[in-house]
Amino acid sequence: MNQHPNILFINTDQHSWDAISAYGNPYLHTPNIDLLHQNGVSFTKSYCTDPVCAAARSSWATGLYTSETGVPFNGGQLHPEIPDIGQVLKKGGYRAFHCGKWHVPGRDVRESFEVLYYGNDNIGAGGAAYYDSASTHAVADFLTNYDEKEPFYLQIGYIDPHDVCEYLHNHEEKRIPNPVEQGILSENELPPLPENFDYDIRETVLNRVCRRVDDALIHSRILKAVREWDELHWRYFRWNYYRFIEKVDAEIGRVLSLLQQTSFNDNTLIIFSADHGEACGSHQLFQKFALYEESVRVPFIVSCLREGISIEKERFDNTHFVSGVDLLPTVCDYANIETPEASQGMSLRPLVERNDTNWREHAYIESNYWGRAIITDQHKYITEYIPKTTEDFIPPGPDEKQLGLVQLFDKQNDPGENVNLAYEPNYQEVIDTCRDKLLKQESQLNRQKNVHNRPQNTITNWGNRLQDYWQNSK
Amino acid sequence: MIESIPLHWSFDYNHGAQKPDYARELIELLHLYKDSSDSRNVNTVNGQHRRHVYQILPNYWHGYQRRNNQNESISIGEVVVERRQENGDLWKYNVRYINNTNGENLRYRFSCRDEIYRPLHENWNVEVHNSCTDIYSKLSWDGYLTSIPEIQLRINNTDITAGKIDNSLPLTCNWALFDVFPALVESNKEKVDSVDIAILDDLEQLRPKCRIGYLDTIESPISLVGYFLYGTGSLPSYWWVDANGNTVIVSSVFETLVLKEKMG
Repeated sequence: MNQHPNILFINTDQHSWDAISAYGNPYLHTPNIDLLHQNGVSFTKSYCTDPVCAAARSSWATGLYTSETGVPFNGGQLHPEIPDIGQVLKKGGYRAFHCGKWHVPGRDVRESFEVLYYGNDNIGAGGAAYYDSASTHAVADFLTNYDEKEPFYLQIGYIDPHDVCEYLHNHEEKRIPNPVEQGILSENELPPLPENFDYDIRETVLNRVCRRVDDALIHSRILKAVREWDELHWRYFRWNYYRFIEKVDAEIGRVLSLLQQTSFNDNTLIIFSADHGEACGSHQLFQKFALYEESVRVPFIVSCLREGISIEKERFDNTHFVSGVDLLPTVCDYANIETPEASQGMSLRPLVERNDTNWREHAYIESNYWGRAIITDQHKYITEYIPKTTEDFIPPGPDEKQLGLVQLFDKQNDPGENVNLAYEPNYQEVIDTCRDKLLKQESQLNRQKNVHNRPQNTITNWGNRLQDYWQNSK
Repeated sequence: MIESIPLHWSFDYNHGAQKPDYARELIELLHLYKDSSDSRNVNTVNGQHRRHVYQILPNYWHGYQRRNNQNESISIGEVVVERRQENGDLWKYNVRYINNTNGENLRYRFSCRDEIYRPLHENWNVEVHNSCTDIYSKLSWDGYLTSIPEIQLRINNTDITAGKIDNSLPLTCNWALFDVFPALVESNKEKVDSVDIAILDDLEQLRPKCRIGYLDTIESPISLVGYFLYGTGSLPSYWWVDANGNTVIVSSVFETLVLKEKMG
């Protein structure tokens, strides 16, 4: 293998791990992502670091968790001293290119990358209908013209299926009839409700205040609309989500078709992943922001369409916990560049090549600043920090005394996360063990104060609402 | 009190970031085209010449920002669909799509046979210019149908296959649908069962199986017959046609095209 392969990082937005036809999902058709799986290794226990765009992307860019990056939610600001993947690769002799969605606030993508395309007003959160095909055009132009001697790293940030958020926003102020009553679709064309449509209401306060109460902190107007939905509306929402994925799959297809016709095909490592998932009706939720599997578990495929890079074909790795922080060390490993010392991630290359390596025994996820999850082979432990009475804007943890409510799920016997076992006395030992893992993990993080006004305001406002809920529920 | 006129749900975006300008602007555009004096058929030596100009109104909630003056149009671009009939059985299309949001200015040139579903004919060309300031500034590609049959694209001298065609379905282009739906009205097929077709979206992306069918008929703000379109990789869009053979409104996930000017 060339010591400095080209590296293509293709990412989608809001794409749950199982919304891929090669993984057995019968409700959509993704021949191009399937092609990546057929030529690579799919890590099925792959988790985002935080189920919201900017936060998860800040981890991709830095190899750090979101309480370290300064981007614990969409309005955060990346701490200026943290190096990003573009800077690291450039220093290592690569040409680092970016195309499409970036969404790492606080870092100008043009300072770290050579940018192929980033829209007229800089691409924000959504807009796949406009930006994704333009991104493909930009990549087509690049792949058919690049003739520099340096290897390239190119990251393509597709926005779909994030445009499903537009579908949801459209319900805020008008009633969209279900397509069956309009004669557009027949009922049997719609996917069923998810098996975990119902949920255990004993959730963390954070999830209730962010996603459940009338004046929920996040997208309460959509919440109000979906409360009026019948079963067919929910199923139509799922149907739409899968069409958005097919749309972005077709964009990926054009990139792969072109790559296959270029001289780069033999020596280009392709990594495919998504920033976070989509609840898609599970637990009667929409979008992300929650710590359930549909929102936090994402695809992660390492692939090469030819033989130039040693990667097994069509293999599922169902064993190892992968995190968004692993992108940077994996890219650095393949590029033969030293990974920044502070990175919390691990290179997947030994796993791809089936070499012995000590690997983590759990995944760690943060959410909405105060939310935390530890996922082991057997259990998922979700908890929250209670907002500080006097806020110092340093992300919470590790502080056992500040922990709030707990959700515990048996992943083997309850994969849909329907029954919260935290209130069963028999599970106290499991909870204690998971909590210890959480606290130990957090003791290894370099949490830094959020110094900018916007994140401080969000932390203050959300913290006050959470404090109110805690006070009133007493 | 234009804002109070109810719009059909399929193109009602009189809310969110656009409120209440979306309805006002949409209805003003409809009146503009209705009052247009140049509605006669224009005959050339070889046949008809038709030209329709559409304003692009934004549907999207997220990230929509009106540029400059709040009193200016919410329009984010324009589409010009121009076609000439040649030799009786072919329509030559020349379509321009200008989008101020993503910076792309596209020109599509292609031909279709003069049949209801406007089957795509032989070869085509697309030119894209990008007004954004980053590296990507332009791209063009040629496309053609092979005898296999499949769709081939040539981009900067690199040939790729854009997909195999199922010969049992008519293959057309989304920009020819501006004439397909009026043809359905004209042939009194407007209320027949839905029909499967294949669409080469923007002359580059094959949607191998799409469905079109009758949606509804409305009398306000003007009299229109509506159709739906969806398929693999294709979110539902809604196409509204007047009694004179004009596609007047096309509403999809992110934008609504509203006819503002026509010839032929």
